[in-house]
Amino acid sequence: MFEIYHPPFTVEIEDTVITVEKQGNDLVYKRTLKGEEETELVLLNNDGDILINPIEPVNLPSKLTSFLLIDFKRPALIRPGDRRNIYLTFPVEIGAFVSDKAGNHEVIDIFTYSRVKFTLYGGHNKGLICRHWESDVFSEIPKTNTLYEGYIELEIINDSSHLMEVTKAVFNAYGMKIYYGDKRLGVKASMRIINKLLAETDFSTYPTTSRFKRSMELYTSRKLIINGTKGIMEFGL
Amino acid sequence: MNNSSIAAYIPQLSDPFLKAITVIAILVFAVIISKGITIYLQRSLKDKMDKEHLNILLKTIYYGIVIVAIVGFIFPLLNINTSGLLVAGGFAGIVIGFASQSIVGNFISGIFLMIERPVKIGDQVNIDNKMGYVEDIKIISTIIRTFDGLYVRLPNETVFTTSITNYVANLARRFEYVVGIRYEDDADIAIKIIKDLIDEQPYALINPSPNVFVDNLGDNSVNITVRVWAPATEWYDLRTKLLWIIKKTLEENGIEIAFPQRTIWFASELNTRNSRAGYVENGMDNGIDES
Repeated sequence: MFEIYHPPFTVEIEDTVITVEKQGNDLVYKRTLKGEEETELVLLNNDGDILINPIEPVNLPSKLTSFLLIDFKRPALIRPGDRRNIYLTFPVEIGAFVSDKAGNHEVIDIFTYSRVKFTLYGGHNKGLICRHWESDVFSEIPKTNTLYEGYIELEIINDSSHLMEVTKAVFNAYGMKIYYGDKRLGVKASMRIINKLLAETDFSTYPTTSRFKRSMELYTSRKLIINGTKGIMEFGL
Repeated sequence: MNNSSIAAYIPQLSDPFLKAITVIAILVFAVIISKGITIYLQRSLKDKMDKEHLNILLKTIYYGIVIVAIVGFIFPLLNINTSGLLVAGGFAGIVIGFASQSIVGNFISGIFLMIERPVKIGDQVNIDNKMGYVEDIKIISTIIRTFDGLYVRLPNETVFTTSITNYVANLARRFEYVVGIRYEDDADIAIKIIKDLIDEQPYALINPSPNVFVDNLGDNSVNITVRVWAPATEWYDLRTKLLWIIKKTLEENGIEIAFPQRTIWFASELNTRNSRAGYVENGMDNGIDES
C-alpha cells in the first residue's frame, strides 16, 4: 500500500480506488470512495511517480492545528526520577505525492480512514486547539492496521520529585518522523515531565525498528522553516 | 523652559570651530539617544504592532528627538532667537490643534489600538454595531468589510472608545439549539441520537464537551437544549449545518419535531355527539346515495 507507483496504475485500498491515467503529457489523478468521486485533478506536463505514504495526522478536514493530543484511556503513573517506555496509538492520514526528476515531492491529495475530532487543550484564550485521539496505554508494541493507526513509542521521563499521573500527551506534529514497514507504522517520541503542570514532548528522528522506511512527511516535502518541533504541555498532564 | 533659560546653562562659545564641534557633538548625542530609544521600542513593540505602523511610530520618535535637540540646544548655542518662532508656532499650534483635534485623537487612539491589539486583521468583530471582518488597521482609521460585503471605515477614536466584540479572539465558541419533540416521543432516545450526531462532527469539540438535556416541558413540546463548542473559526459552518442533520435524523427514527397545537374540549360534548348520531341515523353520512 505505502509505496511508489509508476503511472498509469490503479490501486484499491479498503473502499477507496486511486487511479492515475496518462493523457498525453499530463496525468489524471482520481480517487473514489465506494464508487463516488472524491477527488480528481490533472497534473499538467507531468510524468512523475506517485508516492503514497502516511503523513502527519493534522491536515483533515482542514489545516486547523499542528498539535495532536492523545488522551490515555487509563492514566499512567510514573515515579519521581524514573523513565519508562510506553506505547500509544495515533491516527493515520495518508498523503499522495507527485515526484519530479530532481526528487522533490509535492502533496496532491490527503485522505484518512480514522475518526477526526478536535479538542481544546488549556484555556479558551491561551490554550491550543488539537487533533484529538484516544488511545489505550500499552506496555508492548500494539497490533495496529497501518491504514487506520500507527503506534508511538513514548519514553516518559519524570524529572520532578513527585509521583506523576499522566492522562494525555500533546505533540507538535511539525516534528513527527513517521517510519513504516509492511505491517506496522511507528513513531518514537519522548515526554519530559518538569512538574504537575508542565511537560515537554518531542519526536525522535530514529525509527522504532531499523527495518522501517522513513515516510515523506508533509512539512518536510514543503520545505517549511519550522520554528520549533517540541510540544509544550503547560496546561496539565 | 524657554530658549533664554536653556541658553543660560550653555557656556558661550566664541570660537566658531568650538561651536561647530559642540553642535556636531549635540547632534551625534541626540542621534545616539534617539537610536537607542527606537531600538528599545522596536524590540519591545515588535510583537505588539505590525511592521508598517511600528516604522511610522519609530521614525516619528527618532526625528522628534533630533528636532527637540536642534531647537532646544543647538539654536540657543548658535544664538538663534527662537522666541518669535515659538510665539508664532504657539499661535499656529492652537489653530492647528483645534482644527486637527479629531485627527490627533484618532492618531493617538490608533497608536493605543496597535499596542493593545483588541482586534487583528482578519478577525470577525462587532465594533459600534458594525459586524464584519477587519480588513486593515491604519494609523487614523480601521477598515471593516461587513458580512454582506460593505466597506466601512471607522475612525480609530470610535474603535478605541466603543465596546468591541471579537468573535474569534478566543479559541472556541459555543452555539445552542432548542429542539422541541412531541410528548409521546422518547426524549432519552432523542438525546442519544443527537449526541451521536455531534460525535460524528469533527469540529464539535471533545473538550469543552457538548451538553444535550431536556431543558423544559413546553406548552407543545419537550424542549431539548443542545450546546456544542466548536473552534471559533469553524463555529458558523458547524452551526448552520448541524441543526438540519438533527432534524432529519430524528424524523428518520420516528421522532417528530413538535408544532404548536391545542386540544379543545367542548362544554356541550354530549350534544355534539347526539347531533352527530342523528346525522348518521338519517343516512347522511353512510356513503350511500339515497336519491
